[in-house]
Amino acid sequence: MLHEPDLALHIEDLTVSYHSKPVLWDIDLNVPPGVLAAIVGPNGAGKTTLIKSVLGLVKPAAGHITLFGRSYREQRRLVGYVPQRASVDWDFPTTVLDVVMMGLYGQLGWLRRPGRRQREQALVALAQVGMEHYAGRQISQLSGGQQQRVFLARALVQDAALYLMDEPLAGVDATTEQAIITLLKTLRSQGKTVIVVHHDLQTVASYFDFLVLLNVRLIAQGPMSEVYTGDNLRRAYGGQIALLREAEHARA
Amino acid sequence: MIADLVASPGAVIMVVGALVGIASSLLGAFLVLRRSSMLADAISHSVLLGIVVVFLLTRDHHSPWFILGAAAVGVLTVAMTELLASSKRVKIDAAIGLVFTFLFALAILLINLLARNVHIDTHAVLLGEIAFVWLDTTPLGGLEVPKALLTISAVTLINALFVTLFYKELKLATFDPGLAAALGFSPTLIFYLLLSLTSITAVTAFEAVGAILLIAFIIVPPAAGYLLTDRLWLMLLWGGLISIASSILGYLAAVALDASISGMMATIAGGFLVLAFLAGPRYGLLAQELRRRRSRFDNAERMLLVHLYQHEGQPGSQEERRVAALASHLRWRPREINRLLQHSLDHNLLTRGPGDTLLLTPKGRVLAQEVLEPWRG
Amino acid sequence: MLELDFTIRTVALGAVLLGITSGVLGSFAVLRQQSLLGETLSHAALPGICLGFLLAGGRQLGPLLLGALLSGALAALLVLLFIRRSRLKTDAALGIVLSVFFAVGIVLLTYIANQDHAGQAGLDAFLFGQAAAMLPGDVALMAWITTLALALVLAFWKEFKAVSFDPGYSASLGLPVLALEVLMTLMVALAIVIGLQLVGVVLMAAMLIAPAAAARQWTKGLGSMVALAALFGAVSGLAGALVSASARGLATGPLIVIAASLLVAASLLLAPERGLLSAAWRAYRARRNLPQQRVLIDLYRLAVAHQDPGYPVEQGMLASLYGFDPGAVLARLRRQGWIRPLSHEPTEQAHWALTEAGYRQAAELWEH
Repeated sequence: MLHEPDLALHIEDLTVSYHSKPVLWDIDLNVPPGVLAAIVGPNGAGKTTLIKSVLGLVKPAAGHITLFGRSYREQRRLVGYVPQRASVDWDFPTTVLDVVMMGLYGQLGWLRRPGRRQREQALVALAQVGMEHYAGRQISQLSGGQQQRVFLARALVQDAALYLMDEPLAGVDATTEQAIITLLKTLRSQGKTVIVVHHDLQTVASYFDFLVLLNVRLIAQGPMSEVYTGDNLRRAYGGQIALLREAEHARA
Repeated sequence: MIADLVASPGAVIMVVGALVGIASSLLGAFLVLRRSSMLADAISHSVLLGIVVVFLLTRDHHSPWFILGAAAVGVLTVAMTELLASSKRVKIDAAIGLVFTFLFALAILLINLLARNVHIDTHAVLLGEIAFVWLDTTPLGGLEVPKALLTISAVTLINALFVTLFYKELKLATFDPGLAAALGFSPTLIFYLLLSLTSITAVTAFEAVGAILLIAFIIVPPAAGYLLTDRLWLMLLWGGLISIASSILGYLAAVALDASISGMMATIAGGFLVLAFLAGPRYGLLAQELRRRRSRFDNAERMLLVHLYQHEGQPGSQEERRVAALASHLRWRPREINRLLQHSLDHNLLTRGPGDTLLLTPKGRVLAQEVLEPWRG
Repeated sequence: MLELDFTIRTVALGAVLLGITSGVLGSFAVLRQQSLLGETLSHAALPGICLGFLLAGGRQLGPLLLGALLSGALAALLVLLFIRRSRLKTDAALGIVLSVFFAVGIVLLTYIANQDHAGQAGLDAFLFGQAAAMLPGDVALMAWITTLALALVLAFWKEFKAVSFDPGYSASLGLPVLALEVLMTLMVALAIVIGLQLVGVVLMAAMLIAPAAAARQWTKGLGSMVALAALFGAVSGLAGALVSASARGLATGPLIVIAASLLVAASLLLAPERGLLSAAWRAYRARRNLPQQRVLIDLYRLAVAHQDPGYPVEQGMLASLYGFDPGAVLARLRRQGWIRPLSHEPTEQAHWALTEAGYRQAAELWEH
């Protein structure tokens, strides 16, 4: 049974608790397809928890989530996930190509080994992020920006319709940041939906076209030009940052 | 009375056990808080090497060099472990596991090779001979006092002195090493002092209670204390009390079952921990479950108020519609929802209006607003 | 053709099986940073062994190992329970379960001893390992368990790899991460169970860690690490077990562990890329080359800043930059043709400028 099939992501009444404290409370979110969306909010606002709830990695206390009208379990093939870089031990003995091929494990099923076709798919994904020459490199030898690109390639190889990314631009050099944004915009032009937890208020307005302001509750959502206002930012960040004045200047 | 004490094997055993427990748990509290429990496990194994080496060199059961040898090996263990981990070739948990097992294996090998016909056997290593602590006595003040009692009392005193004198420093170094360093005293030094004392406690207690009881008393009573309280000094107190109780009950149980005394003491300590885990007033499982139910209820109540607030003035505030909506959102049974409703009505958050509707009272409205617009201050 | 002693053949086979399983299964434990779980589970096996003895009425390996596996599994479960449902941290949970289970085991052991002295001797062998006590039937059982373990690893290879590397991402792909993690933990228990007879409960943890840690220093990929760990495990097992079986009164466990530890030390020092000696050599070479590179680059940057490839730099300026007179390094650079001396009126001080080749070389160095 389809529920809101026209929305890439539809969240209703989502509440997630941790140790009896709400981390996300009564979230109603509607993301249309084909947007490049940013989720921003202060630390502890529940941004990562929101992504994990969509992916089924965290059990909600209440509410439900559909992707293109169906549950996540039915739509796994359509979703690509890029977790935070720090969630992994980069000293693991494996190569760049190997990591990217892991993105195909879900499709391979039990007992089948990745073969030539999977290798080729992985190399194509690596080329998309400019890392095809690093295929045989040990991941322990990569820089932060390179690590991020490998994670991206791993998600790209799934050829998803919706991408969920957790702080992909945090801690990368300027060149990599530009390359990633260009890639995300390319994905959007291909009709994909990209939802990104973003850490930087300075750049969010120029990089993204859809904004979600989150601070345990949903503060505001919608097209960037409508939502990125001083008022909304103040409500989200509790009026604590001087940056808000700059944001208002930027809009003016 | 003291004469009776030192003459009674049972009493001596229980007192020695209790003192080992107190001495260990005083230090163990800080080790557990510092997440170094497994390091303590490592030291309790590797001190054996110090004991064996000193014994082979001095051939004397009661040389003061044992203390030095123990402290040295304890520090060596930790230093080697940290060195290995700092090379980045091996993670810290693997480093811990590699270093102490190597040192312990060396110790056992040396015992096998060189000390076979002398009084260290590997069985005793693990168990100690607490059953016999009362035999080896020395004259003191006209009485025959078990040596173990004297040495372990001394160590307990030293540990207590250490913890008392350096209480503030230990506390700070454990919770905020950065601040400690910034304030000018070295958390590393304090940590190594702690470890040296742990090694010394270990070697003193080894003969009596062996490796098992030692590591159990270093970790288990303090951990139980951690589950029972937030205050450091209370945690130390609980550690001591549980050690005493475990010692007494353990001895009695061991005699009844004709089994290892040290093993029984450690097992009882484990029992106390399980009790704290289940029934601890603030952090026990039961307490957690009660809190969870309470907050689930509170959350649901808030949700009800918020929904009413958002639909205020609109048609459809009928009780039935609201109840049905709530039931589907929360996946609760009708009986639970009715309990919720009753609670809200009783606390003057809602009233019943004409036509079977539910209305917010001013008090309820304030609560709903608090949730929806927390920035309103 | 040497006629090998029957006991020694048995022991050797058992040791090789032990080494293979600990190497293979230990690799995953080490990569997932569960080395100390192995320590806890191996101590926690003791009560299970004793209960197996009691229930089977004697020393029969099957029930003993089954008991060990079950009590190990229970221990793992309790550790998880403590961590998930209380404020106890991982290290405390591990330490508690380790010491209490072991204590219970000792209680059972002494209880059995007081009922039946022969039994105790048989069980004592499980404390530090006793190679000489191995029977051919024991080896057969070990072989079955080893085969099972290897089959599991082969079948679920890519899943184990993915879950060990990135459990969060693997879950998003639809892999049953919890089930796989439980399986991997059970395999740790299995590996321990296989080795208990030879190494004993107290030291078995080392066998889970050492071969894998040694192998990690030599390899780039998971497959080669696991294979090499199996080899290292087998070699340590063999060495230790053979020495112990041929001498009298030497416990096997310590010998095997010492062999494995030596392999770790050797690997840490001698491995080609990760090895400490190799790294020290590279650092030495870099230090020797560094002053020259640095001076060259500094000259380059000054030249770029002044938009003059032949920009003359006064030696005194460099001296104050480095804190000492770089005369020797400059002389070397001049000999290599990267720089040339100049005079720059009105001062009498030595000046240096990059040559064309030097400018190009410096530019290349700067790009890296």
